[in-house]
Amino acid sequence: MTDTPTDRPEGPADGRSDGRTEGPTDLRTDGPTEGPTDRRTDRPTDRPTDRPTAGRTEGPINRPTPAPAPVPAPALEATALGKRFGRRGRRALQDCTFHLPAGRVCAVVGHNGAGKSTLLALAAGLLAPSEGTVTVLGTTPAAARARVGYVAQDKPLYPQLSVAETLRMGADLNPGRWDEVTADRIVAAGDLDPRARIRSLSGGQRTRVALALALGKRPELLLLDEPMADLDPLARHQLMGTLMAQAAQYGTTIVMSSHVVAELEDSCDHLLLMGGGRVRLAGEIDELTAGHTRVAVTADTDLAPHTVVESRTTGRQLSALIRPAGPLPHEWRTGTPTLEELVLSYLRNPEAPGLAPVPDRAEEAAA
Amino acid sequence: MSAQVQAISTASRPPGPPAVGGLPGTVLRLHRAALLVWAAFVAAVIVWLLFVTQVTAASVRAVEENDHCDPARDMCSVPYAAYLYSRAIDHAGTLVCYSFLAVAAFAAGSLIGRELESGTARLAWTQGVTPTRWLVAKLAVPAAAITFGGTVLVLAFRWGWAANPDWMWGDSWTFSDVFVALGPAAVAYALCALAVGALTALVLRRTLPALGVACAAMWLLNLVLEHLRDALWPTRTRTSAKPLVLPNDVWEVASGRDADGYYATFHPASHFWPLHLVETGLVLAVAAAATTAAFALLRRGTA
Repeated sequence: MTDTPTDRPEGPADGRSDGRTEGPTDLRTDGPTEGPTDRRTDRPTDRPTDRPTAGRTEGPINRPTPAPAPVPAPALEATALGKRFGRRGRRALQDCTFHLPAGRVCAVVGHNGAGKSTLLALAAGLLAPSEGTVTVLGTTPAAARARVGYVAQDKPLYPQLSVAETLRMGADLNPGRWDEVTADRIVAAGDLDPRARIRSLSGGQRTRVALALALGKRPELLLLDEPMADLDPLARHQLMGTLMAQAAQYGTTIVMSSHVVAELEDSCDHLLLMGGGRVRLAGEIDELTAGHTRVAVTADTDLAPHTVVESRTTGRQLSALIRPAGPLPHEWRTGTPTLEELVLSYLRNPEAPGLAPVPDRAEEAAA
Repeated sequence: MSAQVQAISTASRPPGPPAVGGLPGTVLRLHRAALLVWAAFVAAVIVWLLFVTQVTAASVRAVEENDHCDPARDMCSVPYAAYLYSRAIDHAGTLVCYSFLAVAAFAAGSLIGRELESGTARLAWTQGVTPTRWLVAKLAVPAAAITFGGTVLVLAFRWGWAANPDWMWGDSWTFSDVFVALGPAAVAYALCALAVGALTALVLRRTLPALGVACAAMWLLNLVLEHLRDALWPTRTRTSAKPLVLPNDVWEVASGRDADGYYATFHPASHFWPLHLVETGLVLAVAAAATTAAFALLRRGTA
């Protein structure tokens, strides 16, 4: 991190930061890399109003309709969402139902081809769903376009433009929203020559420019598809810090897909685990890890009625990851899984029963 | 909802130029090279016409006045010199007419196809620009350049073509390329190529196949209309008991002899404008259909 978020100038969107001073304060005292972890543990997940995002409903966006919304619109909500490529083509996504509250940093994990990129593209309004609906920041993806940032997996940029011209494009295409200081700072932190052509940049440098474009429009929802894949560890750490500072300062919701689960553990508070085009696990990471138990018992133990995600027998010992259906016997040795253990268990066992909200629950939340 | 969107844009937009101001600027910056090539092409055709009407014309005049012409080295025949002169003028017409093939290649390849293939279109669509507005700008900016440059080319060609009518021995207004280059049909073909190129790129979403298909489609359209051209306006027919001799400047469609005597079906030179404008209208109709289809396709595929 190059400086504290409070050094930023008051841009045209400064009205949005009303009532959100706690984010930067946390960061300044704890340091940006620890901020996200603190956010996760300190915040009761069932109290959306204590999030800085509560201020968003009073921002300039909703001013014409002054009726205060008691709960801010969820950042992302899918109901029975499906996408099929071609009339008889592959189903990249089917029956996806989940609900992501505003202000969260959400990790999307899953195998290659699990539908992560398709889901992000649908949320960004780049694809039209084949079935179901997706709601972004309380409206359609098309209407939310100006408030959503998106970085595609392959970081497409115009090769013939220079770095400075690319940022100028961001300013031209986002009139009234563009945060030049943030964009310039992200690029400057990478020692990039503004006159360098995009085609002469390395993959990691291109990622930096792509992130600068996405953050420069100061999005309320940031969709990142494998954002850090081609960055060196130092740049990865630094850009992650920038992202988290942004999230904390403006209450930005971040949805990011990644294969590096350990990297997500520090920064994310919400998880979306996908497999075979479906959502297998969705929820707050704290609740998810608390809802699962690692058990070590003798090999002849019957684990019923608990839901078994993964079990392995080594000699006379059975180790398993279960979702307890009730209190566990005292003689079982138990432990809380880490996020990585949880994710890997589900990925290794594609047949394990999922724990995603059923459609009627999502409708309740929407109502 | 739309009221809310309205409120967002008015609340967050600073006073000054409207929001759309930035998008055409971006399109121009992205396709600066193509714009420079187009400007250079227009300039080159004008320079060529100036050269032919001044320098080549002077040599024809020299032959005509029969001074400095050495029969041992030069062809001191006025018809031959005039033939060469008219061919040189018509080369410009060929370039003006078939420039639509280059436009088709540009539109399908660099303008739309490459953006869809490399994903940069998605970059624009997530930078606060809807796919529809993106395509509007992507078509409107080149269309303006094509209309302006094309009009200049047509006017320049008409001027060069009419500069020395007595020497246009190897030329006729009925030649397929001269016919197009003499009026707005040249601009219409280029605009149509822009729309057809955009449509093929949106259908195929890959640069090279789109480029090939767009050029082939435009070439085919031109070929078909060339075949139908004489039927686009009613012909005149003349019959006579004696063999007919028609003026040089008519377009003879058919002639022969039947039981009643000799006949000839033809378009007089005065039919140029009706024929030309009907063809222009047809090409513009194809352009409009391709544009509509391109927008419909883009809207169906994106949210």
